[in-house]
Amino acid sequence: MSTSIVGVETAREELSAAAAHGQGGRAALQRFSDSIDDLLKRLFADAPAATSSLIVALGGYGRRQLCLQSDVDVLLLFDGPIGPAEEGRVRAILHPLWDLRFSVGHQIRQMDDFAELEIDNPEFLLALLDARAVAGDAALLDRIAARVSTPAAHARILDALKRLIGERHARFNDTFYQLEPDIKDAPGALRDLWAARTIAAMTDPALLDRGPTDSPRLGDAEEFLLRLRSILHLEHKRNNNVLSHEIQERAAERMGYTGAPRQQVERLMGDYFRHARAVSRSLRWVRQNAPVPVAANLVQSRDGVRFVDADRARTHPERWLSLFQAALDAGTSVADESLTWIQQRVDRYRPEEFFPTSAEQTALLMFLRPRAGLYERLSEMHDCGLLGQMFPEFQAIFCRVVRDFYHKYTVDEHTLLTIRGLERLATRAVKGRERFSTLLNDLAHPELLVLSLLFHDVGKWRDEHHADESVRMAMEMMERVQMPEESRALVEFLIRHHTKMSLLAFRRDTEDPEIVRQLADLVGIEERLKMLCLLTLVDIEAVSPGTLTPWREELLWRLYVDTYNRLTLEYADERIEHDESGLQALVAGRPDDVTDAEIARFAEGMPRRYLRLFPYVEIYRHVRLSRDIRPDDVHANLERKDSLWELTVVTLDKPFLFSNICGALSSFSMDIARGHAMTNPNGLVLDVFQFTDQERFLELNATGKDQLLTILDAVISGATAVTERLRAREQSVLHRRRPGVTSTPPVIHADNQSSRRYTILDLVADNALGLLHRVSRVISQHGCDVDLVLISTEGQKAIDVFHITKAGTKLSDAAIAGLTTDLHHMLEA
Amino acid sequence: MKLIKAIVRPNKVDDVKEALGRVSLSGMTVTEVRGHGKQKGHTAIYRGKEYDVSLLPKMEIEVVVPDELVDDAVAAIIQAARTGEIGDGRVFVIPVEQSYRIRTGERSDL
Repeated sequence: MSTSIVGVETAREELSAAAAHGQGGRAALQRFSDSIDDLLKRLFADAPAATSSLIVALGGYGRRQLCLQSDVDVLLLFDGPIGPAEEGRVRAILHPLWDLRFSVGHQIRQMDDFAELEIDNPEFLLALLDARAVAGDAALLDRIAARVSTPAAHARILDALKRLIGERHARFNDTFYQLEPDIKDAPGALRDLWAARTIAAMTDPALLDRGPTDSPRLGDAEEFLLRLRSILHLEHKRNNNVLSHEIQERAAERMGYTGAPRQQVERLMGDYFRHARAVSRSLRWVRQNAPVPVAANLVQSRDGVRFVDADRARTHPERWLSLFQAALDAGTSVADESLTWIQQRVDRYRPEEFFPTSAEQTALLMFLRPRAGLYERLSEMHDCGLLGQMFPEFQAIFCRVVRDFYHKYTVDEHTLLTIRGLERLATRAVKGRERFSTLLNDLAHPELLVLSLLFHDVGKWRDEHHADESVRMAMEMMERVQMPEESRALVEFLIRHHTKMSLLAFRRDTEDPEIVRQLADLVGIEERLKMLCLLTLVDIEAVSPGTLTPWREELLWRLYVDTYNRLTLEYADERIEHDESGLQALVAGRPDDVTDAEIARFAEGMPRRYLRLFPYVEIYRHVRLSRDIRPDDVHANLERKDSLWELTVVTLDKPFLFSNICGALSSFSMDIARGHAMTNPNGLVLDVFQFTDQERFLELNATGKDQLLTILDAVISGATAVTERLRAREQSVLHRRRPGVTSTPPVIHADNQSSRRYTILDLVADNALGLLHRVSRVISQHGCDVDLVLISTEGQKAIDVFHITKAGTKLSDAAIAGLTTDLHHMLEA
Repeated sequence: MKLIKAIVRPNKVDDVKEALGRVSLSGMTVTEVRGHGKQKGHTAIYRGKEYDVSLLPKMEIEVVVPDELVDDAVAAIIQAARTGEIGDGRVFVIPVEQSYRIRTGERSDL
């Protein structure tokens, strides 16, 4: 170790000598810094053993610009708790530094300290940007760097840096024309120079060279300022960076200026102001023009979003979509520079390289959610060739011309215009189409509608049977990007039948119940009907400006409404029969652990739509849940599905059952968004609820799922009174109606005509905690059985359809009147 | 010379067009219209709420025919547009005094 100490002393003497001759610039400072590195490496090697650790150089030492009197800023980092062994290691490293009269700025941290970034300590975050591993396990620093190298962290650091610059400049009255300048802190001095470089490094490394002071010129300024600083440390013998009047003459002489002393000083200060002006202008330029980090390797500037590091982008084509996603999020375009860059390289990549894992497939679906700007971004992707390279199927219709009397655009543009139509519905940009906008907002997966639109006409690359060809090509694409089975089935359905609703609405008699039945049979469930209706609307609109007339809109809407009513009001009469083809297919595809008899016992007699509503794999799970069920048993499953939670309950029917389940969920402040309740002739009940966990109870509590299921069990068995639990929740300040929030009068419509077996209650009311519980409780209090329920929400409105009976038959007019009156009283209370 | 104005179900336009072609009438004007006759429309319910659908979407076909073809044309329209249900539509026959060809300005008797 003594060799290293001697090395430091020697380096210090050499730096002093260089400073004395005005030569204490970058090279001299680097040599001095390197000698400290050698010493620290030796101290680290000789220190007692401890957990994996690292010495990190920070600040000026990290930049290898350590001056004679500068603090040696080091971070001692441990990959575990700091105990006696680690403390021994710290002492073995720091004590020799103090013995050598260094002023040491030290921090001792363990890796866990960096789990959360210290946003209230921007100076430390800034110091980390210059961090350099000196001795030990360098991987520890890489792990911290990964946490700091996020757009969010960069944005915070930049904000902090800009604030610190402002505060520092204010101390100097915001001018660099200081007669006695501080060579480190004054405007135009070293800190400004480092700040300009830091901002450029974090946002756009090429920024400096596009500004008024290029990198070599900044390098000259830095060399000049560092030489001066070395002289100041030599003269002051402490860390004082002020170039005072009394020092200026000696400094000018040491810097080698000639002439009379006064002339030397004037030349020195002339050069100083010239360099300070260059630094100041550079910093101002960088601050004004620095793009904003928006995602990994992406920044936003005036010309849009672009890649920061093209080399990084080149090796990660799977991240190119994020460029367009970021532009979409920021409400701006992708910069021409990046579009050109992609255009020049895109054909080097195979389609699979854009979607190597399920993460990219998820990102694609996220990107395709209809919102303002989607059409523009997709058009950019198409124009630069990325869309066609990601999806060769789409490339097949590039500028494809199909001559007919109606279409005004090429097939690719027609396709993109359909997506613009959907985007306008999402943003409610078209007056008079709010009813269609509402349908779009209802959809659980609008991105799958966009995906279907993107591929609905790709089969037009050939002249005949384009829908079948589009399906074939879309299936290939979905196989390639590993789309989930359920999504594939939906997209296939929409593409295969994308002309069906238009045909029925405009070429068939929509007053004919048979036409409505045909469409209802085809779609099976409301979600598919809504999607097909929207697809039809935007497909017609994108044909030419005049094709979608209000008259056509009206025809389409009426067909939609009639079919929707058939699906929601008349479905109860259509039950799964023993010889139902869907049931046979279900049996044929059953897994080994589920028997034919179990499937038949569970599914026979359920509404036929049950087979359309759930994928088979879900139905087998329902069958398993129904095993060995006895009165008061509750077999339930709770799991996360995308942004929602899904509770599946299988039990035997009993009074107030539905009301109690809803109440149990509401007592945890769960907001029920969608759901279905069904009963088979054996009294077996299947309830499926999708809800949002408003208070993040399940997320924040490790045992939250178990707690909820336990309460559910207790409520259904009658051991716990749900009304009491719920009352406390309803009185919570979190659920009080806020002043100024208008409520719409509830709508209750009773229908004794649509179904042979049931009285149907259609209810639309403001969504509120416990609403379903209260409504179904009133129904049960009237002695009615709730056999089937459809639950949906539309914005802040709850839309529920109950199929009910009383003593096994439809309600009388008097019973309906009594029930609806009480429901109105309850809802308006 | 007569103007035949037929209000028909939207899905019957192609059938009517074909039927008129069979009696050698090819020129026509088709307009999307809304209205009601005896059918008067009805009240529909969507999500529990009633809404008025009294003005029903129909197609209006206008064709000018020589006097001697009026009966054939009316018969063709009726046969093609009829379903037998309320809402099949109406046919009006209106006298036409003069007709001019815009391209040449000359008077035309079809």
